[in-house]
Amino acid sequence: MKKLLLATSAALVLALPAWAEYKEEHRGGTMRLVARSAAGTVDPHINYTLQYWQIYQGLYDGLLAFKKAAGEDGFTKVPDLAEAMPEVSADGKTYTFKLRPGIKFSNGQEVTTKDVVASLQRIFKVSSPTAGGFYSVIVGADACLAEPATCTLEGGVSADEATGVITITLTRPDAEFLDKLALPHAVILPADTPAQDVGTAPVPGTGAYMISAYDPNSGMTMTRNPHFKVWSEDAQPDGYPDVIQYDFGLTDEAEVNAVMNGEADWMYDQPPADRLAEIGSTYADQVHITPLTAWWYAPMNTNIPPFDNVKARQAVNFAIDRNALVNLFGGPVLASPVCQVLPPGFPGHVPYCPYTKNPDQVWSAPDLEKARALVEESGTKGQKVTVIAEDTAISKAIGTYMQSVLTDIGYDAEVKPLSPNIQFTYIQNTSNNVQISITQWYQDYPAASDFLNILFGCASFTPGSDSSINIAGFCDKDIQAKMDEAMLLGVTDPEAANKMWADIDRAVTDAAPMAALFTPKRIDFVSKRVGNFQFNNQFYWMVSQSWVQ
Amino acid sequence: MVFAILQRLAQMVFVMVGISMLVFLIFFATPGVDPAARIAGRNASPEVLEAVRISFGFDQPFYIQYLTMMQKIFVTGDLTSFVNRGWKVVPAVLDTIPVTLSLVFGAAVLWVVFSVIIGVVAAACRDRWPDKLLMILGLIGISMPVYWLGEVMNLLTQSRFKDTWFLGWVPPLGYVPFSESPKGWFLALVIPWITLSILYIGLYARVLRASITEALQEDYIRTARAKGLSETRILLVHALRTSLIAFVTLFGLDFGALVGGSALLTEVVFGLQGVGKLTYDALQNLDLPVIMTTVLYASFFVVMANAVVDVVYILLDPRVRSA
Amino acid sequence: MAALSVFVLILVCCALAPVYASWAGVDPFRSTLDAVIIVNGVEQPVMELPKTGLALGFSPIGPTWQPGNYFLGADNQGRDVMARLLYGGLNSITIAGIATILTLAFATLLGLVAGFYGGLADTIISRVLDVLWAFPVYLLAISLSVVMITQGIRLGPVEIDSGSLALPIFIIGLIYIPYVARPVRGQVMSLRQSDFVMAAIGLGASPGRILRKDILPNVSTTLIVFVPIMLALNMLTESALSFLSIGVQPPNASWGTIIQDGQSLLYTRPWVALAPGIMIVLSVLSLNVFGDGLRDALDPKSRVKLGRG
Repeated sequence: MKKLLLATSAALVLALPAWAEYKEEHRGGTMRLVARSAAGTVDPHINYTLQYWQIYQGLYDGLLAFKKAAGEDGFTKVPDLAEAMPEVSADGKTYTFKLRPGIKFSNGQEVTTKDVVASLQRIFKVSSPTAGGFYSVIVGADACLAEPATCTLEGGVSADEATGVITITLTRPDAEFLDKLALPHAVILPADTPAQDVGTAPVPGTGAYMISAYDPNSGMTMTRNPHFKVWSEDAQPDGYPDVIQYDFGLTDEAEVNAVMNGEADWMYDQPPADRLAEIGSTYADQVHITPLTAWWYAPMNTNIPPFDNVKARQAVNFAIDRNALVNLFGGPVLASPVCQVLPPGFPGHVPYCPYTKNPDQVWSAPDLEKARALVEESGTKGQKVTVIAEDTAISKAIGTYMQSVLTDIGYDAEVKPLSPNIQFTYIQNTSNNVQISITQWYQDYPAASDFLNILFGCASFTPGSDSSINIAGFCDKDIQAKMDEAMLLGVTDPEAANKMWADIDRAVTDAAPMAALFTPKRIDFVSKRVGNFQFNNQFYWMVSQSWVQ
Repeated sequence: MVFAILQRLAQMVFVMVGISMLVFLIFFATPGVDPAARIAGRNASPEVLEAVRISFGFDQPFYIQYLTMMQKIFVTGDLTSFVNRGWKVVPAVLDTIPVTLSLVFGAAVLWVVFSVIIGVVAAACRDRWPDKLLMILGLIGISMPVYWLGEVMNLLTQSRFKDTWFLGWVPPLGYVPFSESPKGWFLALVIPWITLSILYIGLYARVLRASITEALQEDYIRTARAKGLSETRILLVHALRTSLIAFVTLFGLDFGALVGGSALLTEVVFGLQGVGKLTYDALQNLDLPVIMTTVLYASFFVVMANAVVDVVYILLDPRVRSA
Repeated sequence: MAALSVFVLILVCCALAPVYASWAGVDPFRSTLDAVIIVNGVEQPVMELPKTGLALGFSPIGPTWQPGNYFLGADNQGRDVMARLLYGGLNSITIAGIATILTLAFATLLGLVAGFYGGLADTIISRVLDVLWAFPVYLLAISLSVVMITQGIRLGPVEIDSGSLALPIFIIGLIYIPYVARPVRGQVMSLRQSDFVMAAIGLGASPGRILRKDILPNVSTTLIVFVPIMLALNMLTESALSFLSIGVQPPNASWGTIIQDGQSLLYTRPWVALAPGIMIVLSVLSLNVFGDGLRDALDPKSRVKLGRG
């Protein structure tokens, strides 16, 4: 028996040298994941949640992909369904890809250039949330946004079926276009996928796994894609478990219990504060903590009192005890205080903190006296301020704490926690007159503009709309001009561009359209039997790369 | 008779239409709950937002949106959620019914058995100490917030006594379908059953005791006593039977309301995916199609229970029947 | 009567909340994450990170069992739970009390009009009550709250801010109207047919006079019996709404919100959730016992029954 096994694995190694790292003895079993709730539609062109983007890693492929590797390596883009990285024309507007032949969808159909063209059109046909933000740079996208049903991307996307060559033309150079192509919203689906949100009916993909059942009220089952063969370890490696079972509907407490008792292998939600001490001591070896490129911040509406006054906004920045917030989040192991926009480890990040007792690169202590003085100077003392928080334990605790701080520096403050699903659109709409709120932003892809230009750019501010991600309503002509310049520069000289972004980060931080609170870390609590835990900075823990036996 | 049934039916329809309009108005007439942006996803551009608005018919007048929704619930049955797009609401509600039924049915068995025993014992020793003790216990049961009791139960079974012999058998929170494992189903529901039934045991025992006491003073009981029937027989056969009328009435109404989703707090605390939990989750998300369907479903049971109780009342009570 | 005095005692204790807070030197509505107290001569921070393992989680101090010195420990904002418990009780009882008055007033009005005048007025009122009645209580309350917490209410000149206590009062007062209005209507209807009212009508008394002199006094017994029962029911409802975080809004407290705060500390600091629950049980129990006695004394045959949850 033993001999036989050795012989087969030796044969495997010989046949597929790239598989050297794949440990055959760990293959098989069921990985059981749990989450409080489902995250909506399974349509990869529409779903815009971390929860499903994480599992899409092993389900779908785009022309390009973020490398399936641990840590910062996960930010690297590698060719996936394309044979190689594209050729870019001198003017930076035309990208030429060559499709890898012989790859099949989980329904047995072969991937053709037709599927690629149809998938890029489908982004607009289904009104993907990022259709306007990310992909409007493709030629013909304007017509597609105006009339989604008849979208052709004429002149923007063309393909030659015989040679497998796909050409994408942009209206202007875009340094981040390849990042955007590697996101789940641009994955390749069969050309005959319905041109509308598929909702709960899974779409066949090219990944190592496929969704075989989905009910948002109970769970999702992922099984091996029978037509999958490894074509690139970096882009789409084979997975260990035979089945990945994702169950929904448990409370956070119950999730923790399930993982502790080995009834589940991993929980999506962050463990409740009450259980952290126990997890950190008794179960310390089952915990993986990783810094995220994300931030918790408190946008302040720069268009209505009292925060239309820059001194009032700076006062809030000086007053907040970020250590207290870090503690509310679970302690210094789980978060670090921050004053600026770009998170540590992000392109363009240079440590900067003007809002601390002894101004330095990093935050040390709040300066309440200065804060009170600034409030006094601004003439906004005694005004009514309402903090809008999410109705989750942590956000509510932070909101309550902020209410307390605002009262301390002279405002008549109250806090209003809203259901998390409502809160995010509520705080965006200017007609709700939200003054200050608590929210978070997680990167889409590693580029400074994904924080600065999206959260504080003029184009993201739409008064009266529920979708106006520039929550502070901050629009500064000079800063915007610099951001446009930096984005253009990024096409030719990313390093110089990142230096510019560092300046912009400083300028935005000084203008204080928000109070940066802290950079969160992710805590992954896994069962005893989970091995080979690897955390990819782009899409988080790579579920299929861990084993359960 | 036919007229009475028709009238009852018309009344039911009226109530349900009223409720559905109320729900619709509460949700749509309020600013800030426009589902379009939540459906479109974070940072959607204005064009995308508009496309979503049109595809969901949010640009139509309210009465058209209302009628379309009613049609999708009752005629085509293909109403889909605003949050989990493409998720068909009607089958989803039907899927949760076994959970709620299991919970309510088991609790009902408990509360009927125990409340009858307690009610009869209390009535038999009325005004002596067992009666007083039982009635105070009953009142305590009525006075406990059910969600708090549930939390305390969770504290005991999931944390403090999790590893002890007498509560160690309690499985983690959540529902196990009967078809999957009858034993698992039973074990998962024992604690929720007890929690839910305590209030009703207290309530029903008190109602039963009161009506037995009342019945014992009636003329026909005196006649029975005069005939020399044993006190036990009088209590169990004659007095109890008459007293069950009030009991059954109350039972019908409560059972209907609970099956309709009033066990919401119990389901939420114990993580049981029943109708109540579904409604609660939908309310958290302001998922109007789900809320509308569950509320209509719930009111249907309340109204039905009222009607059934009326009929049973006629069948049980000879005084009403002869009249 | 003993029961009533228990309730009054609880009420008085809660009313003394400000006295307790100033004596203990704590502000129950302000986050005090860095406070340090002295327990048995040893300095102890109110909120602390564990010193072992990975040092995850910021935990509040447990009960010290020393009056005036974080007797029941702190919550996750480092606030004195005992002080909040007293303030919370005051809010819980106030809300339940005013809501009871609202319910009884509106229910009496509707019941009188429907029962006395009959006809179209009765039909309209009864049908509206039917709709409210068939709407499961918690669903109605939750639906209303979710919307109103977001927006507040604007009814013409009346504007209730979304953080105000008036909001839960309004919602709780509204949802139980059918429970009281229906029996009142029934009683008025039978009184309307009674000999003495017929006689009064025959003598040419005005409807207003009949309502005031003949009907209201008879109905009032029923209403008095309802008071403790509704009060108990409203306290339970208020706590349930606050528990689902759609009742009293932070940093204000009620027993329900403290239970909710305590829910997230249930495993390490169970007293935060246990204490307000016990207070609710005690007050509701005393009200129910008192209500029982009151009913036996005033209305032995009545069909007034306890509500359900």
